Amino acid sequence: MPQRDIAIIGASEVKIELRSGRTTYELAGEAMAGALASAGLEKHEIDGMAVTTCFSDAGNPFYSPILSAYLGLQLDWCQTTDLGGAGASGSVARAAMAIRAGLCHTVLVLSADAQSTTNRGDIQGFRGEFQYPVGIMGPPGYFGLLSNRYDHQYGLDPRALAKLAVTQRDHALLNPLACDKLRKPLTEAEYLASPMISHPIRMLDCVMVADGASACIVTSTERAKALGVKRMAHPIGYGERVNHLETENCPDITRVGHEAAGAKALAGAGMQIGDIKQFHPYDDFIIAIMLQMEGLGFCKPGEGCRYIMEHDFHFNGDLPLNTGGGQISAGQAGLAGGAHNLTEALRQLFGEAGERQVKDNANAMVTGIGWIPYGRNWGSSTVLVLEAA
Amino acid sequence: MSEYDPLEGLRPAPVKQDFSQPFWEGAAQGKFLLQYCPDSGKYQFYPRPVSVQTGKRNLEWREVSGRGTVYSHTVTYRSPIPVKGIKPYIVALVELEEGVRVMANLVGCAVDAVKIGMAVKLAWVKAGEDNFPAFEPA
Repeated sequence: MPQRDIAIIGASEVKIELRSGRTTYELAGEAMAGALASAGLEKHEIDGMAVTTCFSDAGNPFYSPILSAYLGLQLDWCQTTDLGGAGASGSVARAAMAIRAGLCHTVLVLSADAQSTTNRGDIQGFRGEFQYPVGIMGPPGYFGLLSNRYDHQYGLDPRALAKLAVTQRDHALLNPLACDKLRKPLTEAEYLASPMISHPIRMLDCVMVADGASACIVTSTERAKALGVKRMAHPIGYGERVNHLETENCPDITRVGHEAAGAKALAGAGMQIGDIKQFHPYDDFIIAIMLQMEGLGFCKPGEGCRYIMEHDFHFNGDLPLNTGGGQISAGQAGLAGGAHNLTEALRQLFGEAGERQVKDNANAMVTGIGWIPYGRNWGSSTVLVLEAA
Repeated sequence: MSEYDPLEGLRPAPVKQDFSQPFWEGAAQGKFLLQYCPDSGKYQFYPRPVSVQTGKRNLEWREVSGRGTVYSHTVTYRSPIPVKGIKPYIVALVELEEGVRVMANLVGCAVDAVKIGMAVKLAWVKAGEDNFPAFEPA
């Protein structure tokens, strides 16, 4: 039986902007104020915080306590989640654990980053030693390796990827918080003609790094009811996999950690994949959406392109997908980008998604992807199943 | 830059880990050394502080053949290396006969000639002043 003892009672997202000139703390402040307003909560109710890491303040080893001081929060539980784009969904799960353990009762789950304004990231280890010298173009290069291998094993239809790109762009046009630079109509032909970055990854396969922040408030269902909260969402299933197939020297790099994380999340939720009403997958690259569809069981490995061509992923289609535009069409707010699809799912579950509101908002699946290991598929995979109440 | 190696003279020097020292000493002598875990009978690359199979520090360094096949590849058009007019170049994921994968440049190969499954052999290039592993068609 899924547990419905935890509730998300408010959510907020700051408008995504390119080179906003704002700081992480400024963005975080706006996100928290928005989440409090959304929940109808006073700040003193918050006694816990889980925050994702960011590039714009990456050199700061005291990030979460300093951030909480800026926000005027006295906390009984405070933590940083460094799962990259999987950090937001991971933080919801950690907040639920902390509440169940009695460490705190109401948690601010926050993600803020101004990566396009300030990037203080310096990732070394194997990257400085064995990756940077080969000149691979970061994530687009890695996704180029993944894509060519996928094409070799199964065949890759660029029209299927174009369909996802166009659908997400259509959604961004309906989302006033999406980055203005991206809120322009997109056609299949424009996607296919966009310049190659690292073959076969095109410019329009990739996210555009921007600035932004999102926040949500997690508490116990009991407390939410006592507060008189009218609408909420329960996190009823969660799975996480870091370093999938790590001890295999030569794994199939088209296989994703969402195989394991998805099975665990669905088991927790007491659901089958076909029960999912809307899908908000982490999208750093268009093909990542398709690989997650395969890993999660929407279709079998190698059938992703066909599956995409057979379904309508618009907000009014048969499987609404990234109805806020996804990061690729709304903009990736640095490492806070992983909270964009979580926040959109919450807006949908609360029935507050405006003209892009999905009809059947009973539940939603949100995923995360974080970091890229050496010569492998991505490193962190999370799956969160949410249910409207 | 050269026809053979578009990244010649452009690769940044590797920032080395302490436990990788034997790899770089071997490379300086033109020897391709990999960590080998005798408990599991498996090689591993990149170098680690422990066996990724057992978590133990029982690791040997063994010279390997440098022969392998292309598992996947990507042609890089927008380089992270800040040089104007850089020519497209190949990054390949090469599967060695010893059962590990190495990410490396494929040199001496036209960008439209690389194919998954093609046989390749080790070819040392320079990253900064260090010998650095690359591959060329076998």
